[in-house]
Amino acid sequence: MNRSLRIVAALGMLALPAAAQAQSITGSIAASADIATVFSFGAPSPLNFGSVVPGATATASGSIPLSRNVGVIYSLPDAANTGELTGPGPAITPTYTCGVGTTSSTIVNAFSSFNGAAAVLTLPSPTGTLTEYVIFNGSLSAAQTNTVPGTYSGTIRVTATAN
Amino acid sequence: MTSRAGRELLFALLLASWAMPAGAQTTKSVSIIPVQSLSFGLLLPGHRESVRTSDVSRRAVVALAGDDPVDVTLVLPTAMETPTGERIRLSFSAGDAALLTTSGGTISTLDPLQVNRVQFGNDRTVLFVLGGTAVTAATTRPGHYTARVALLVNRPGT
Repeated sequence: MNRSLRIVAALGMLALPAAAQAQSITGSIAASADIATVFSFGAPSPLNFGSVVPGATATASGSIPLSRNVGVIYSLPDAANTGELTGPGPAITPTYTCGVGTTSSTIVNAFSSFNGAAAVLTLPSPTGTLTEYVIFNGSLSAAQTNTVPGTYSGTIRVTATAN
Repeated sequence: MTSRAGRELLFALLLASWAMPAGAQTTKSVSIIPVQSLSFGLLLPGHRESVRTSDVSRRAVVALAGDDPVDVTLVLPTAMETPTGERIRLSFSAGDAALLTTSGGTISTLDPLQVNRVQFGNDRTVLFVLGGTAVTAATTRPGHYTARVALLVNRPGT
């Protein structure tokens, strides 16, 4: 090849990328979304022993739904005083069993304790959004109901922490 | 090097230096300036959320500036993802893009799935806007999901 042609060809190759680059340009657009954490209690179903005959035993059940799409740690901030009933006579502390179930009637995952202020049940993230029920089953012994007549009431406080 | 060879090299360099500024001018003649991202915002699992081109706060906006007509092609993602690989399906359909004037007037509605010819007006700038639809599943996990839409701008016939 003639030397000049070789030089022009070589320089042409250098020039070509610049020309090709000029034919198109690219940009980009960012797209984004945030999926919300679902984590809320619903309306509670009260635990009500009703009218109890003094000296008789009594049982009752209550629950509160929690909708979530993340893991949860349940705890009872009132510890040993959880669900204590106060009224005209001495305070009454029913015996409770508690835990979480997919319905409001059956406990599937029981709390590890009822007296500690520390976490009592840790559940992992579900695969989707679910509603579960924190269930409290209470019972009163004959000795506990054999007390001063009147209305006894209290509050069961449960804390759910997203995990 | 002989004087003849030197002249040839000079000529070649002149040719080369002539071509390169021409290329640089062409590059300057079209520009892409991202103005606003496509933002679906906070979504709940198990829902379908569309951003329309008329949604000024959530649609994507890109300013295109130039003189001569250009063809705009989008490379559209099929999903937004988290860093850990969880996905939200994305879909685009005809009418999910539009060309606006810089004052906000609609020039035309576009199909983002097609190649769209863009003509520049007297002010040399148009706004390309993009909407779309995100579909979350009931199992979609909380988090921040992202994707990128590539915008290819070509001169017609190239």
